Amino acid sequence: MGHQFVLLISATIFCIGAAGFIIRKNPLIMFMSVELMLNSVNFLLVGYSSFLKSMDGQIFALMIMTVAAAEVVVGLAIILTIFRTRHDIDVDHINVLKG
Amino acid sequence: MFEFDLFELTRDTVTMAVGFTAVLASLGVILCSAPVYCALYLISNMICLALLFLLYNAEFIAAVQIIVYAGAVMILFLFIIALLGGKKEVQESSAQRSMAFTFVITMLGELFLAATVGPTKPIEGGFDPQTVAQVGGSAKAIGLELFSRHLVPFELASGLLLVAAVGIICLAKFSYAPVRRRTR
Repeated sequence: MGHQFVLLISATIFCIGAAGFIIRKNPLIMFMSVELMLNSVNFLLVGYSSFLKSMDGQIFALMIMTVAAAEVVVGLAIILTIFRTRHDIDVDHINVLKG
Repeated sequence: MFEFDLFELTRDTVTMAVGFTAVLASLGVILCSAPVYCALYLISNMICLALLFLLYNAEFIAAVQIIVYAGAVMILFLFIIALLGGKKEVQESSAQRSMAFTFVITMLGELFLAATVGPTKPIEGGFDPQTVAQVGGSAKAIGLELFSRHLVPFELASGLLLVAAVGIICLAKFSYAPVRRRTR
């Protein structure tokens, strides 16, 4: 399949992820939407690394996976900490920085 | 002359089917009410993307995607959902929601326009499938590139993971007792 297919699928998944990040109120699902966006960019990088016959795209995809793993771990720890102190994880209700 | 390559045709069909399945699974992630179903849809989306990576000659990245994302990260998500209780979320339509959809659809249209603008000038590298096979597979080719030209980013990534690990230990340990309000 050509460049257009990779671009279209990747752009669609990215936009769906962005929509999910905006419309959902559960922080876990917002994190999942961020994962969707990161994954769509990975797909774009891998597709283009195949088209352009270069390994750089795959290496960047690997780096994105590393950053995503670190981000998810820290984000989930923060969500867990908020849940322990407030017993409520709706993002609309989290409006005070003090514990 | 009418001529077709059955292998190419099958490959294209499979690629297209897997791509659309990935899109449908990602729609499931954002539209399902229960977080557990969202997580399951996300796993299926990641498996579809791993298949697409395989179809685009990136075997190593596909394996890493399955192990790191569909394995480790999603297990973490499922544990957190089990811990916090997967409460269903009521999804009502509101002005904010329609604004969000308008924004996202505009962004999608812009991206489509940008994608169909025509061919840009490609910068060709030297890794066609023959070269990769000669080196000894995708993992070896990535290793050669990673440890020669991209050594510093690789080491920085290990530092990042270390910082994340220490960070979550601090977060989990020191905030264990609920914060007490000061009396007086």
